[in-house]
Amino acid sequence: MFYRVNMGTLTVTKEAGDQYQGLGGRALSSKLVETEVDPTAHPLGEKNKLIFATSLLSGTGAPNGGRMSLGAKSPLTEGIKESNVGGAMGMKLGRLGVRGIIFEGLPQKDSCYVVKVSADGVVVEEMPQIKGLDIYAAVAKMQEKYGEKVAIACIGTAGENKMAAACVGFTDMEGAPTRQAGRGGLGAVMGSKGIKAVVVDDSGAEKLVFADEAAYRAGAKKLANALMAHPVTSQALPAYGTDVLVNILSEAGGLPTRSFSSGRFEGANDIGGETMAAVNKERGGKSGHGCSPGCMIRCSNIYKDKKGAVLTGGFEYESVWSLGANLGINDLDDVAMMNRLCDDYGVDTIDMGVALGIAMEAGLAKFGDGKAAIALLQEVGKASPLGRILGAGAAITGKVFGMRRVAAVKGQAIPAYDPRAVKGQGVTYATSPMGADHTAGYAVATNILSVGGKVDPLGAEGQVDLSRNLQIATAFVDSTGLCLFVAFAILDIAEGLEGIVEMCNARYGWNKSVDEYLEMGKQLLREERLFNKKAGIAEGSDDLPDFFRTEKLPPHNTVFDIPKEELNKVFNF
Amino acid sequence: MSTGKQAIEIRFFMFLAELCKERGWTSPMSLEIGQDITGDELLARLDIPAERVEVLLVNGKAVWPSAALIQPGDRVALLPPGTPGPYRVLLGFKKLN
Repeated sequence: MFYRVNMGTLTVTKEAGDQYQGLGGRALSSKLVETEVDPTAHPLGEKNKLIFATSLLSGTGAPNGGRMSLGAKSPLTEGIKESNVGGAMGMKLGRLGVRGIIFEGLPQKDSCYVVKVSADGVVVEEMPQIKGLDIYAAVAKMQEKYGEKVAIACIGTAGENKMAAACVGFTDMEGAPTRQAGRGGLGAVMGSKGIKAVVVDDSGAEKLVFADEAAYRAGAKKLANALMAHPVTSQALPAYGTDVLVNILSEAGGLPTRSFSSGRFEGANDIGGETMAAVNKERGGKSGHGCSPGCMIRCSNIYKDKKGAVLTGGFEYESVWSLGANLGINDLDDVAMMNRLCDDYGVDTIDMGVALGIAMEAGLAKFGDGKAAIALLQEVGKASPLGRILGAGAAITGKVFGMRRVAAVKGQAIPAYDPRAVKGQGVTYATSPMGADHTAGYAVATNILSVGGKVDPLGAEGQVDLSRNLQIATAFVDSTGLCLFVAFAILDIAEGLEGIVEMCNARYGWNKSVDEYLEMGKQLLREERLFNKKAGIAEGSDDLPDFFRTEKLPPHNTVFDIPKEELNKVFNF
Repeated sequence: MSTGKQAIEIRFFMFLAELCKERGWTSPMSLEIGQDITGDELLARLDIPAERVEVLLVNGKAVWPSAALIQPGDRVALLPPGTPGPYRVLLGFKKLN
């Protein structure tokens, strides 16, 4: 069932949404945006819509199947946007039988609304006492009112002030707002509609009905076995989290350092996963934390300060990179503080870190000065003119300060893998309909990749084919509600992919093949690109900023050299 | 273990960083090799079982221990199995069929 929430009239209607059968997650949120949103609409205007979509496996409790998708026209990229998120809400909405919520219209008065979803339906309530609060404080107030067990999606002051890099914070299984629908400024879209938060209470939900429960369970077991057997998902990620990548990328020469001026950071080990795990052990924090129901990988964490108080959680590699190495900062506590501030104000850590790097290059602070970076970030919380510039993201910050080296594609900041040293990732940054997005080409499984052999990350050969296949497979996984990290196990254990297909088929009584699911991924990408074209984003924008093609990246001293005409072949399907 | 001109610089990541600590080594650690050695020879010299190393990064480039040739002056990192998936492919650790 779908709910349509009109913020202009504060009315809610219920729809079956038959035309969206067979779709979930990113495939559903993008389809809704592509069908219902005028591509020329202003992202903060009445015609834009914010979508909350559950996924094919939402509510089932599938291994690592708790994710959901948010969609809208993005104020950051001006194109279509889906932002995928973990936390507790996807499971609860799935249990309530909600496939999607469409938020539309603009409020008639400047108030502060909470949308409450429960087994009784959806209501819009005013809650002026949380207006202007940071996310952690707002969530605490809502937990007092609605109880500890609800799942909450909440914007901070960045969203309320409609900053283009604003995110939406989601509560995890302990009720802490440590998960974010981070990219593309969807927090600003939510803010434009006057929605401070969405609260989901699944008490009283009816038992989910499977077309074939035994077959579903058999499929789930295959995936669970793969996740438990593989060293990445059963050992490395629970022990070190995604931050394990800092040392690896730095050593491989692909960790963008000091605003993309080097690929290796001398302070990498100080902020890497090995150090974070040791700090968590010493201070009583937690490594091996699951972010959503059914999570078996547990790559998340709870990070405490020197006094033993919880400082932040969901402290991921990309955030440690953007707020650490990218700013030349090797003090993990300073980086953790910035992660907390981003989560509290509700801004995307990636765009913020890249914006701060540009600000440092422009002379607003020195690289390596953690306290100065924190002070700059606090301007975002104050919504001062400088804070609003930074909060508008890296591309706008670069423009305002007249900078030439601005690492962004389609207005969205380039994440933690330098495209000159990890060229396959560079192809994805250049071509994804989402703008620069490392998660757009993430799902790897040898049996669904039509490329063979060993990839040379510094070479051009094979990267376009690799990116194409990664993007298609990712579009499929993003539609299932499964965490993309399940693909790490599937890369070596083929039964895991069989399990995914069997779960989806058994949930709905389908008999689809892997190829049919991948076709869904292809169709999704075609439609996202079509929306962008209608929105005025030309194919010529499928490229990286020119400094990546001209400025050599130490230590390998390579440039991004995949020809433009090759990039245009990514979507030859 | 010394820091002579014929030495290499070794870094240990993830579970191998813990092994390094257990053995009282530093990371980075300097190791005198005298002449070119293979990756397998390096692991044997360090008494690290082959199954505990997925790939070496030699001067920042991924190479399997059996295929690696390490020369004095090289910078080498030892990675156990555990690098998240796409990067095993994108950084060339994993050969696709």
